[in-house]
Amino acid sequence: MTGVPIAIESSRPPLAAVVRRDLVRETARRSLARRRLAGRVATSLCTVALCVSLVPLVALIAYVVSRGLPALSGGFLVHTPTPEGIPGNGIGNAIVGTLVIVGLAMAMAVPVGLAASLFVVERPGRLSGVLRFVANVLTGAPSIAIGVFAYAVFVVNFGYSGLAGSFALAVLMLPIMVRVNEEAMLTVPDDLWEAGLALGSPRARVVRSVVIRSALPGIVTGNLLAMARAIGETAPLIFTIFGSQFFVFRPTSPMSAMPLTIYSNATQAYPDAQQTAWGTALVLMVLVVILSIAARMVAAHLNRKTR
Amino acid sequence: MSSLSAPGAFAGADPWSPVSGVREALERRRARTHGRVYALVRWAGAGIFAALFVTLLVTLFDQASAALGHMGISILWTGWNPARNQYGAGVFIVGTLLTTLVALVIAVPVGIGTAVLLSELAPRWIAAPLTLMVEFLAAVPSIVVGLWGLIVLTPLFANHVEPFLKTVPGLNALFHGPAYGASLLLAGVVLAIMILPTIVALSRVAMSGVALADREAGLALGATRWQVVSKAVVPGARRGIRASVTLAMGRALGEAIAVALVIGNNTSLPHSLLSPGATLGSAIVNSFSEANPGSLEKSGVVALVVVLLAISVLVNVGGQLLLRAHKPAALPRGPVDQPASPIAPVVPGAPNTAGAAT
Repeated sequence: MTGVPIAIESSRPPLAAVVRRDLVRETARRSLARRRLAGRVATSLCTVALCVSLVPLVALIAYVVSRGLPALSGGFLVHTPTPEGIPGNGIGNAIVGTLVIVGLAMAMAVPVGLAASLFVVERPGRLSGVLRFVANVLTGAPSIAIGVFAYAVFVVNFGYSGLAGSFALAVLMLPIMVRVNEEAMLTVPDDLWEAGLALGSPRARVVRSVVIRSALPGIVTGNLLAMARAIGETAPLIFTIFGSQFFVFRPTSPMSAMPLTIYSNATQAYPDAQQTAWGTALVLMVLVVILSIAARMVAAHLNRKTR
Repeated sequence: MSSLSAPGAFAGADPWSPVSGVREALERRRARTHGRVYALVRWAGAGIFAALFVTLLVTLFDQASAALGHMGISILWTGWNPARNQYGAGVFIVGTLLTTLVALVIAVPVGIGTAVLLSELAPRWIAAPLTLMVEFLAAVPSIVVGLWGLIVLTPLFANHVEPFLKTVPGLNALFHGPAYGASLLLAGVVLAIMILPTIVALSRVAMSGVALADREAGLALGATRWQVVSKAVVPGARRGIRASVTLAMGRALGEAIAVALVIGNNTSLPHSLLSPGATLGSAIVNSFSEANPGSLEKSGVVALVVVLLAISVLVNVGGQLLLRAHKPAALPRGPVDQPASPIAPVVPGAPNTAGAAT
């Protein structure tokens, strides 16, 4: 509303233009008030949504910490389980089992995931389109289905073992890894590829020292997050590793793992068992959070180094 | 490296000397071998990955074939009764769909509202720590959520929430029958808590990815902040939001352990949301170990796995098709043998659609 064109003398009746101007101003004022009100209503609704989502999540964390901490006393992390009512209970075997199983699963999945994602990145065509589609479908596949698959392939033929659990977790992680690796490598600018190739370096060399190196933060973060997801999974382990009361380091025998310990203890009515379940839940959650933080820190560190 | 000369000696060497000719030939040969090894590695990775997928399908179908042949297509609507040799998935499909529906009805509006607040409306000093927290919560193992649901929510629902819901007028059709605590409703709520951080985190990323110019254009036209959010940011982030919901829905459909802890594991057809029920996942957990190896029942459980897998693939593919329908006009891709440049903003963890149209 710039430059009101007409000067008004007070004795005359207002000009039509002035009437219109006032009308426009009034309408604008009302509209703004209405739109601001809508904004305020929407903002308060979103705040309600925030509270609704935070309350159960914070309550969950607080409850796990408050119930889990008392369990952590007296060698809980290093002892093996004791029968009901006998003190000195521990989940050392489950921690060892989780580390061995997840470590082996990483050893299986990381190289295959990297190679498969290189295939997808290097040969954009029908075949890699199919692979990408398979990765997407498998990422959404229920983990219980993967558990049953590992049972049918491994357990039926070789019996229950930690290795079968590792296989299941590797199958679970592989599609995630293929996708995050691909996403990370797609962010490498074409110029870098071309610069490397223009120097006369062989493709393998360019991929190794240019592409993978500059995509490394994304690759490491993605793979660590896949690992964090696998560590907390129960369904792939429930039909494969059987569980064990003792320290087992040999992956070809039945082993225990933390998610399995939580599951089997949660379904028992004894207070000691529930205490164990909460303690294990706390340890598992801390482990997952540490992994997530590590993923971020590694990414930040590598980012600083490559820039 | 050959033993003919020390590294760095090449620069000063006579390019016409026979020694450097041999060197070059060796280098070229080495490069060719490396290229071959590299191609082999790529093909091996892709081959293992594809073989795994094929084995998974073949194994599951093979193990399920006895029950699938026994039941035929009626597996989709009959009940589960091993005593009468009936291995239908009907009740479990209903349970799966109902719990997922409850979870989505709760988690989608709440999650998107939270994401809008964190991404657009809240001041930075509030949004930044909350965002970090939500991202960590997305990593809480589902078994922990299930444990909490079993120990804390079950008595809460039995004594307070479910009796209250029964008194709400107009909802009697949904909430009637005795309040046990363990029910389809509770399973849905536990699933909602489980998928909420995923929806918030991914939707927030999608909204933050909307171009600043779009917001500025709205503000320059005199739009209020909320108008910019509702008319520019949310529509601009629609693809990412939809991807987050698809992902969350897939997780809710397939979750087995957490649901098995809170749903009450009842194989008869539920008559309200308060009845104990079962989903495909929880039924697999409970029946798989009980069934004898080689029995028709075992095969029936694997048939449940096949049905569950089919539902999750349908949801996934449907989600991807939806995403593709709303994809902006695709940019031309680089020539073959060149890395394609990412077209869409990449949302970590969301179905990857960049250049999926092959």
